[in-house]
Amino acid sequence: MNIQTPPKPTPAEQALIDGYGERFSRLAGNPDVVQARDLAFDRFRQSGLPTRRVEAWHYTDLRRLLSDVPAYNQEAMAEPVGELLEHSAIAIAANGQALQADDNIDGVTWRPLTELLADGSLASSLAPRDADDMIGALNASFVSGGWALDIEAGAEIDVPLEIQNVHGGGQVHTRFPVTVGAGAKAVIVERQTGQGAAFVTSLADVTLDEDATVDWIVLQEQPDTVSYLSSFSATLGRNARLRLFVMNAGGRLVREEVVVAVQGEGADFQLRTVNLLAGEGHTDLTMVLDHTVPSTTSTEVVRNVVTGKAKGVFQGRINVHQVAQKTDARMACNTLLMSDDADFSAKPELEIFADDVACGHGATVAEINHDHLFYLMARGISEKEARRLLVKAFVAEVIEELDDEALVEALEARLDGWFADNG
Amino acid sequence: MPAVQETIEQVRKIDVDQYKYGFETLIEMDKAPPGLSEDIIRLISHKKDEPDWMLQWRLDAFRRWQTMTEPTWARVHYPEIDFQALSYYAAPKAQSGPKSLDEVDPELLATYEKLGIPLKEQEILAGVRKPGEKSELDEIGDNVYSSGRVAVDAVFDSVSVVTTFKKELAKAGVIFCSISEAIREHPELVQKYLGSVVPQSDNFYATLNSAVFTDGSFVYVPKGVRCPMELSTYFRINEKNTGQFERTLIIADEGAYVSYLEGCTAPQRDENQLHAAVVELVALEDAEIKYSTVQNWYPGDKDGKGGIYNFVTKRGDCRGANSKISWTQVETGSAITWKYPSCILRGDNSRGEFYSIAVSNGHQQIDSGTKMLHLGKNTTSRIISKGISAGNSNNTYRGQVSVHRKAENARNFTQCDSLLIGNDCGAHTVPYIEAKNASAKLEHEATTSKISEDQLFYVMQRGIPEEEAIALIVNGFVKEVIQELPMEFAVEAQKLIGISLEGSVG
Repeated sequence: MNIQTPPKPTPAEQALIDGYGERFSRLAGNPDVVQARDLAFDRFRQSGLPTRRVEAWHYTDLRRLLSDVPAYNQEAMAEPVGELLEHSAIAIAANGQALQADDNIDGVTWRPLTELLADGSLASSLAPRDADDMIGALNASFVSGGWALDIEAGAEIDVPLEIQNVHGGGQVHTRFPVTVGAGAKAVIVERQTGQGAAFVTSLADVTLDEDATVDWIVLQEQPDTVSYLSSFSATLGRNARLRLFVMNAGGRLVREEVVVAVQGEGADFQLRTVNLLAGEGHTDLTMVLDHTVPSTTSTEVVRNVVTGKAKGVFQGRINVHQVAQKTDARMACNTLLMSDDADFSAKPELEIFADDVACGHGATVAEINHDHLFYLMARGISEKEARRLLVKAFVAEVIEELDDEALVEALEARLDGWFADNG
Repeated sequence: MPAVQETIEQVRKIDVDQYKYGFETLIEMDKAPPGLSEDIIRLISHKKDEPDWMLQWRLDAFRRWQTMTEPTWARVHYPEIDFQALSYYAAPKAQSGPKSLDEVDPELLATYEKLGIPLKEQEILAGVRKPGEKSELDEIGDNVYSSGRVAVDAVFDSVSVVTTFKKELAKAGVIFCSISEAIREHPELVQKYLGSVVPQSDNFYATLNSAVFTDGSFVYVPKGVRCPMELSTYFRINEKNTGQFERTLIIADEGAYVSYLEGCTAPQRDENQLHAAVVELVALEDAEIKYSTVQNWYPGDKDGKGGIYNFVTKRGDCRGANSKISWTQVETGSAITWKYPSCILRGDNSRGEFYSIAVSNGHQQIDSGTKMLHLGKNTTSRIISKGISAGNSNNTYRGQVSVHRKAENARNFTQCDSLLIGNDCGAHTVPYIEAKNASAKLEHEATTSKISEDQLFYVMQRGIPEEEAIALIVNGFVKEVIQELPMEFAVEAQKLIGISLEGSVG
């Protein structure tokens, strides 16, 4: 009963199958890469797109939601965007190809992904993580470009590094493998945006050696014509610190997977997410966090504002392995539902096999506190303005934790922009 | 703080064979041949003297069941069950429906005596008190039941053996009998409500149950009646290689109130036994049902051999406005528990509650929780779940809170705490929170920890030995749930938790 023949392919599935056939001869890669692509694509061909029957996709029935996959568009113009932070060193991937990178920073090496495909060094990391990793499988099948970023051990990079993944419609499949050497420090900004109807898969795969410290900011601002599937995976060495900040403000269908393995003692992982959901979009943030060694810590705070007919999903799972004593892991997911047509589903899981741990999660869903609203309105602030203030305060709290003034300002400006459009 | 190092050691050393209900009663049984087919279903229906509509209902379910596959999403692992190897009907011979204890096989009475279930009142009334060893629980029974009285329906394998206090209940208009009897004597009520909360096609085990259920309790509390005493059912699986499929249906008509308790045990056997029950509760306008379970099926031995597979579908429907359903469960037994007592909050202002203590030790696996489905306006729900894992066990809380589009002002509070004792067990929390209405207020919190060194030190330095100190802390941990149990069960539950964790905590 476990072997099921997949039902008739949906138009999107058919487009992917056809696309693989057509594109295949033109996709870069040595024989190892070709073999890895085939294996990954077989995974997709056998199971089709996941449905809600697949537990990891319970709230995002990809088979139903991914209604169409546009064709590749070679003529599309991809416009680079203005940098988020001043003086950033920028690497641009446009329409799935590495375009240009500011490679004059000491300790920082950018290499176009095509090099790693051509010499086969990427082949081993193309394998999907597990059966649920459909994003990994699709990306491995189709990935055409991106940037590999290496930061030397001990390098303290004092300019922000910004990766721009921009497109002008069509299909985009990019990958960004990143290694951060021991003791290195960096701020990395990842921009995901573009124009026109598109199907985007994008992977970041980050390795932090011991004592490395990284602040990674993802700013996802796809137009509402884009289906965007992404995965951010990271492994943390001894005493490494990773702070991941994700802001989602766009996309028609968004699934963002964050997969983190805390593998070195003393390591710390922090996730802060602001999901600004409006229109008719479906946005899913799914996190799987593994604590595999003793004495590690993590905290996740996810704040969601859902309005219009938007649907939001947060799935978070913390796995504490048997040897991972003294783990301290906390997860919170707070949602403001602003409209009766909006909805939000959360599934914060704990899976714990060690007894000497302190783990917890909290999840709330609520509307704006009427007392707070009344308080502000009694002071002569209009209802609309009062609501805006309260919602902003709700998410700004998470942004302000970033304690980098320029970054906080830049993100709050995005926030204000979103409110102007959707408040 | 690897504080309770001693405790961990003890957990390793302990023998989970603390099960005191593992005896077998040797009485003659009337047992159907193993296997499941339409003929067996006809046989069950015939044995129970059922009307044709009931047989058809069973056959419908059976045909549906044949098209279904076993669910695999729960965090439990077990070898495949051969449904054709089980026997689907077993009844004490020649005792198809005794009317008083006099007619009951003395072996059976001795069994109940050993179990300490409160048939004593009935024995006194019938003048048949049997001598026998007093168990701890007997003493509790004596103390408690001298003040409060409990009407009992005892189900032995496939049949209800005896129901007590029927006459007195009838005076109040309350119907309390076995479901077989209800099918014969109150077909209009059964036809109206059976399957209306858990439909025939609900899930694999519920559908199987619909096809082959053999007995269980039926309660109907008429309009405006407050049931004059606690009702209780006692389930026991005795025969080898049988599955127990009981079906309970409780209806509280407008403004009625009933409190119902359920307890269960099984003999110690090396092979696994299946228990797949369905419980349906219907609360009409302003009605309240309180359903409490102390589940103590045989959990298997220290190597995880034997034990009951407890795959149960329990669901309550707050059908009328202002109705309330409250589930309280203490789960200490069973090799595998798969159980999610749920509330459908259909009526406006209705309320659902779920209080649970799940204790797992040895190789037990528990995947349990609840579903609160908010459909009506101003509906509220509260979930308190306490999981304690020890030994090599795994204990999962899986719960869903869902607020539908039209459920204005729905409110939920969920708290699930897990306590781990030892390093070979697991505690898992899998909540599903779904809001489709902006006025919903949902709060969920979960924690996992171990007994704090500070607390333990505090208690021990007052001269209390460690074992007792841990028991004290654990009891504090589960207090919120114990408080929800009817008094007589609360005492029993506290004892049970002690037994379950003996050697590891209490």
